[in-house]
Amino acid sequence: MKRLFSLFLFTFLIFSSAAEARVYLDVNAPTLVQIPIVLPSWKAVDKTPPSLPAKVYEILENDLAFSGFFRVINFNSLPAHLQKKEGIPSTLYLQEWMPANGEILLAGEITLESEGLNLKLKFHLFDLIEQKHLVGKQYEGPVQNLRTIVHRMADEVILQLTGERGVNTTKIAYVSLQSGNKEISVSDIDGANIKQVTRNQSINVSPAWTPDGKKIAFTSYLKRNPDLYLTDLDGKNLTRFLSFPGLNTSPSWSPDGKQIAVMLGKDGKSEIYLVDAGGGNPRRLTHGHGNEASPTWSPDGKWIAFVSDRSGSPQIYVMSAEGSEVRRITFEGNYNTQPSWSPKGDRIAFNGRVGGRYTIFTIQPDGAGLQRLTSAAGDNENPAWSPDGRYIAFSSTRTGSPKIFITHANGFAPRPLTQGKGGELSPAWSRRFDQ
Amino acid sequence: MIRKNYLVLILALCLGLILTGCPKKMVPVDEASSKKSDDAARFEAEKAAKEQAEREAREKEQTRIKEEEARRAQEKEFEKSLVAKKQPGIEGEVLESKLLKDVSFDFDKYDIRTQDINILKEDAALLMKYSNVKVQIEGHCDERGTGEYNLALGERRANSVKKYLVSIGVPADRLSTISYGKEMPVDPGHHEEAWTKNRRAHFVILSK
Repeated sequence: MKRLFSLFLFTFLIFSSAAEARVYLDVNAPTLVQIPIVLPSWKAVDKTPPSLPAKVYEILENDLAFSGFFRVINFNSLPAHLQKKEGIPSTLYLQEWMPANGEILLAGEITLESEGLNLKLKFHLFDLIEQKHLVGKQYEGPVQNLRTIVHRMADEVILQLTGERGVNTTKIAYVSLQSGNKEISVSDIDGANIKQVTRNQSINVSPAWTPDGKKIAFTSYLKRNPDLYLTDLDGKNLTRFLSFPGLNTSPSWSPDGKQIAVMLGKDGKSEIYLVDAGGGNPRRLTHGHGNEASPTWSPDGKWIAFVSDRSGSPQIYVMSAEGSEVRRITFEGNYNTQPSWSPKGDRIAFNGRVGGRYTIFTIQPDGAGLQRLTSAAGDNENPAWSPDGRYIAFSSTRTGSPKIFITHANGFAPRPLTQGKGGELSPAWSRRFDQ
Repeated sequence: MIRKNYLVLILALCLGLILTGCPKKMVPVDEASSKKSDDAARFEAEKAAKEQAEREAREKEQTRIKEEEARRAQEKEFEKSLVAKKQPGIEGEVLESKLLKDVSFDFDKYDIRTQDINILKEDAALLMKYSNVKVQIEGHCDERGTGEYNLALGERRANSVKKYLVSIGVPADRLSTISYGKEMPVDPGHHEEAWTKNRRAHFVILSK
């Protein structure tokens, strides 16, 4: 991964900066109004093959549509005379784009350079209402990085229009049942680049990303004990990280990366422990009579949410990072598990059972403001936040075999991660790979 | 003359002795014959006793052999009941025996049900008989609910069984535990019947 990203040569040439940063979309509003954005055809400069701008267009359109912030107006749906227009228009002629019925226009061109080894992409954003140029940027990189370059560009467009960078360079690790066993796979969040990470035919569960995004942690029964392993994304450099007798699972790295909260079963029942980043110095945080599971750090590093059935049924609790000040935050229903603390800190996602079905909820860390995100269709489990806290990935049986879906944090516009037949569980969302 | 008289007297005495000794001398003859019958009786008795003892010893031996055979048969039954189990991706080969019986659990519970106490007592008796056998108690759950919480639940189920077996005398160092959560259902169905089967503690033999 490091190699891939260090190959980037990004040159940001800001052609004109907006007089003042205007946020076109309040993403925190309770109802989301999508921005109608016009995407004219991309232009192939000089001898660039036309397949390249078509490819860029497809990735960009997907990224913007998947973000949920936009209603993308495809060039195919434009009036005939606009369909033929390629590339970046002059601000002087913005008037002619009015019949497209968009508020924003995103146009661009691509050049293949250095005997086909290097790409140069340029995009410009225009405000069609106010008839003005907003911003323009240029990107360069090796041709094999096309997808990642376009993802970065889409993230920049999202930043310009919503005030926060997108997450199109992130990845999702998950458990895949495709091989007949539970193996760990990784996918880009647009469902491309699916790679199987483990091929050991064992039982591999509970994937999690290390904070640097370079490794995936998961629990496997390779040595006839549920031990915690670390591996590179290509499956290389497998190490047995924690192997206490009994459970070693559900790692959650502290925001500073120095400690890991984890479920350990070595005392005869599952407890929440902290271990150092290297795996040493285990300190037990829970001391109740219950089964303790699924720790998740608050982004300020002060709190840990977890599951405990000390009250007789599994519920979500919050405690300090020292194990003190334990308080229960869920009181609805008798099966609330798998908490995941938003990177923004304001909400905790979890899954709860309602009428025999499992559904995704979010709640404030103080137990107020319970919100239901998924409908009654199928079982919805294992919520995982995007690094910007604007999306939640989860697995759902709404279409039959469990598939991973991505939804806005308010439950808006869920869409499947991949076009696969299913057999996807336990999503874990990576950091951004944009540096 | 006196000397002659002495001789007579001695002779007379001797005769007297002989005469008086005669009946006595007859007795040994009689005694000999009665002793002969006594000895026979004793011999018979001794013989009978010996035979009795031999018979008893034989019977005892037979009982011992029978018991030994029964034990061997049982051992054989135990031996015969052992089935090797190798799972891809999980290190080592273990044995399973239908004589070591599973116990079930209620949904979301990990306590031993009263109706399962006798099953565990039988399991314990078997484990006490084969004191070299080391087993692993597997805690399993049904498919409902999240993976991680079910791993915790399975851990507790396996340990509930271990605790009980230790409390009735099975050495703790012969019992290890492992939680498979909902990852290894015995019945892949999505209905109550399958769920009931899957909520279990199961024994595998690591060594014998």
